[in-house]
Amino acid sequence: MSTVTYLEAIRQGIWEEMERDPSVFCLGEDIGIYGGAFKVTDGFIDHFGPRRVIDTPIAESAIVGAAFGAALTGMRPIAEFQFMDFIGCAFNQIVNMVAKAHYRWGAPAPLVIRGPSGGNVHGGPFHSQNPEAWFVHAPGLKVVCPASAYDAKGLIKASIRDNNPVVFFEHKYLYRRIKEDIPDNDYVVPLGKARVAREGRDLSVVTYAAMVYVALEAAEILAKEGIELEVLDLRTLSPLDREAIAQTVRKTNKVILLHEDVRTGGIAGELGAIINEEAFEDLDGPIVRITALDTPVPFSPPQEEYFLPKVSDLVREARRLKAY
Amino acid sequence: MAKKKTRAKSTNIAKSNGRGLRSLQSVASNQRTYTVVDYRLERPSFALKQVRAAGHVHYEVTGDLSAPVPPLRESKYLDKKQCIEIYRWMLLNRRMEAALENLYKQGKVVGGVYFGVGQEACSCASAYALRPEDWMGPMIRNQGSLLVRGFSACDIMMQYMAKAGSPTKGRDASSHFGDIQARNVVAPTSTLGDLIPVLAGVALGARLQGRNIAVMTYIGDGGQSTGVTYEGLNFAAVQKLGLVLFVENNLWGYSTPCDMQFCVKDLAERAIAYGIPGVIVDGTDACQVYDAAREACERARRAEGPTLIEAKMMRMKGHAIHDAAEYVPKPLFEYWRKRDPIARLEGFLLDKKWLTAGENEKLIADVEKQLGADREFAVSSPMPAPETAAVGVYCENGCHEIKPKYGAPKVANEILIRHS
Repeated sequence: MSTVTYLEAIRQGIWEEMERDPSVFCLGEDIGIYGGAFKVTDGFIDHFGPRRVIDTPIAESAIVGAAFGAALTGMRPIAEFQFMDFIGCAFNQIVNMVAKAHYRWGAPAPLVIRGPSGGNVHGGPFHSQNPEAWFVHAPGLKVVCPASAYDAKGLIKASIRDNNPVVFFEHKYLYRRIKEDIPDNDYVVPLGKARVAREGRDLSVVTYAAMVYVALEAAEILAKEGIELEVLDLRTLSPLDREAIAQTVRKTNKVILLHEDVRTGGIAGELGAIINEEAFEDLDGPIVRITALDTPVPFSPPQEEYFLPKVSDLVREARRLKAY
Repeated sequence: MAKKKTRAKSTNIAKSNGRGLRSLQSVASNQRTYTVVDYRLERPSFALKQVRAAGHVHYEVTGDLSAPVPPLRESKYLDKKQCIEIYRWMLLNRRMEAALENLYKQGKVVGGVYFGVGQEACSCASAYALRPEDWMGPMIRNQGSLLVRGFSACDIMMQYMAKAGSPTKGRDASSHFGDIQARNVVAPTSTLGDLIPVLAGVALGARLQGRNIAVMTYIGDGGQSTGVTYEGLNFAAVQKLGLVLFVENNLWGYSTPCDMQFCVKDLAERAIAYGIPGVIVDGTDACQVYDAAREACERARRAEGPTLIEAKMMRMKGHAIHDAAEYVPKPLFEYWRKRDPIARLEGFLLDKKWLTAGENEKLIADVEKQLGADREFAVSSPMPAPETAAVGVYCENGCHEIKPKYGAPKVANEILIRHS
């Protein structure tokens, strides 16, 4: 075991896969000598060489297109986005070219598109977004949003080995704030499997990424009042672990859906529909949503704090739902 | 003389500013030495303008529309057999599309039909320059390129009729199919320019496996307006990837004339801005198209980077079968009809006595016979079962094995500059 940050866990995962499989390579903006804007690929170019760690022009459509083309020849490219906010620049390549390839013409696209997403770092409207729901809505893609360092490493390795295109959302707030002991041996965390981050009998919180920590903090406060929260960390948003979602609702009969993405069209709506389909008879109260506001991510700290879901929001809603 | 003067001046500046600047200056002056090679034997020059008359706006063309048709330019490379093969592909391309038009009129085609009439030389002679290990990504009018790459007319007809046996099993239409196993073809999407970075990436993947291959794709005078065209070609240029980009300037982007898409004189001029060679060919002259394609492919295989080839011609039908192209001034059709690529190559072969009238008739009859059989098979083949719509979104349960196509990637650590 060694103690590593969430960022170091991702770095180790990519490093190990590049050591293991010569068809894995990285391309993106400033990932070479500079080591990436957040230093995820720091030292990679020295170890693996400039052929496998490619600094590209600032051209997101070209990055994704080239990754897809290389994947067609049997390579396993990892395309870094400096910020996931910029993924809109490559949206067409991702949803029309890459996501549809296997269905339309039987071409597998084993590539990973990864980068930092998420707020609470005062990055403003273009360095803080959570655009994961856009890609959950595109059949053909897998969407991964790890919360822990253990999962970040295991999921990036599973994503690289997957034969499908994976959009991998790292949470930049967690990059250096999360430190954990993780095993030194080779392991993967399978895509499409949620985990129970905390067991509880009274209420379920279904969430992912940085909001897992908001849920765990709220659970500590509520435990003192005798309210036991169960926290389900989805880990993968596409495919969703429908069984795990249904199972926690069957156990606690009350559920809060929590995400950092904006409210309308966010994954909470889909989760609510799944609970309705899978566990309607088990519900003893309304499905509650806690999300960011339906606005762009504001820059100024007081505004951003107001925008984001908070521990106090979850504590309040949990008390209300418990009493329902 | 002017060029020499500029160079001398640059050198002086470089000397006074030290070594770093000298190298920058020399790169810049190298790039400026690129000139656009023009293979054409005639240089049509027309202008279109919007004219308002009797309450309606229409296009009028001005320029010399009566120029005589020049001969084909003798190929530096093609022999008799190869010329006849290209001619046969072009005939198959044209006649297959005529068959599709008939199938459409009989109500057997699902959706529209897209034609490459007038552009068969560009599709067929360009793809003919590729080797089996090279790759190609077609646009909607490059059905001839797909034929040359080894797909059958039956495959294309089944695509248009949405049959279960079509290359996409009914899931997509027209030229939207590919094959990463045998024929090395990337399926296009309907959005324009997106194949350019993808083909560049194919060359990148091959290079990581130790192979320098040629990768060819196409873009129109309309499609080249997209941002991804710039991104893809610039990426290929920076990485010196073996991309051969045919810019098919067929004068119309759906109903919008090329004058409203760009204002450079020739789209090949754009190559200079990417720091790559640009070539202009007469897109109705199969010999010019082949020669330019071959030279660009050889450059690609020498790992010298991409080439932009502008092929000038006219789209001789509407955007698709529903479009009568009434917005195109009639004199333009008359001008380009005299430059029909198939009639020109046919005349070339007959004049050189590479083909007799009798052999030509037999060749045409063979093409028609093959098409007849393909048409019959395609028409009588079944539609897909409805529930097949639900499967195949993901690659799972071992449906594909992912492995490097050209052998194990070369992972030797190449450190270019090591600071002690």
